[in-house]
Amino acid sequence: MTPFESICEKCEELIQPYLDRELSERERLEAETHLADCGYCSKRYRFEVSLRGYVRQACCSEEMSPELKAKLASLRTPLD
Amino acid sequence: MADAETDARRLATEARDRVRFEEEVLGLADQVYRVARRLVSSREEAEDLVQETYARAFRSWRSYTPGTNLRAWLMRILTNLNIDRGRREQRAPDMQPMEEGDYFLYNRLEQTGAPDDEERVVERLSQDSIVEALASVPHDFRDVIVLVDIGDFSYQEAAQILDVPIGTVMSRLHRGRRILKGELAESAVGEES
Repeated sequence: MTPFESICEKCEELIQPYLDRELSERERLEAETHLADCGYCSKRYRFEVSLRGYVRQACCSEEMSPELKAKLASLRTPLD
Repeated sequence: MADAETDARRLATEARDRVRFEEEVLGLADQVYRVARRLVSSREEAEDLVQETYARAFRSWRSYTPGTNLRAWLMRILTNLNIDRGRREQRAPDMQPMEEGDYFLYNRLEQTGAPDDEERVVERLSQDSIVEALASVPHDFRDVIVLVDIGDFSYQEAAQILDVPIGTVMSRLHRGRRILKGELAESAVGEES
C-alpha cells in the first residue's frame, strides 16, 4: 500500500493541472477520489480555487480606457 | 466585361471578409488588454502594446485563416511584439530561490492569524500585493501564467502563442505559480510582523 503522505504529495502535484482541466481521465479520477476522502487536501484544494478567483479579480479590475478603444477602431482600414 | 464583373465581386467579398475580421478582432479588445496589462508593468506600455498589436493585426489580416482560433492568433502577435520591444531585462530565472510546494502558501497563511475557513484565508492577501507579486515573476514564467490564468488559454494554445513546446508551458507554469506564491507568502508574512 502507498503511504498516506505520498498520496497527498501526488495530489498536490495534480491540483494545478486539475484546475486547468488538463489532466487525463485517469488522473482526474485519481485526484477526485483522493479529494473526496482527504480533508487535508480538499481544504487546500478549496483554497487554490479561491486563490485563482482572487488573482483574477485583482488582475482584471482595470478596464481599458474608452480612448484606447476608440483609437483601436480608428486603426481599421478605411472603407473606400 | 465578365472579367470586370468577377473582379468587382471578388473585391466586394474581400471587403466584406475584412470588415467581419476587423469587427471580430475589435470585439476581443478587452480580453487582449487584460492580458497585455499583466505582461508589462505600466498602463501606458500596455496601451502602446495593444495599439501596435491592432495595427499589425489589421495590416496582416490576410494571414489569418478564418475558422481558426482568432484570440490565439492575436495573442501571438501581442507576445511577439512584447518580446521584440526588448523589455526583457530581468533577474535570470536560475537566480530565483528554490520555490516551495503547491500547498506552501496555504500552509503559511494558515499559520498566521486565527483559524478561518479556506475561502477567507485568501483575503489575508491584499489585491495590491497580488498585482505586485505577479509583476515580480520573471517574464518567461509570467507570460505563461497570464495566458493561462487570465487569458483562459489551454496549455496547447499557450504553447502555440509563445512558440514553445507544451512541456515548456507546463514547467514554466508550475515553476511560475510557485514563484508567485512565494512572493505572496513573503508579502503576507511581511505585513504581519
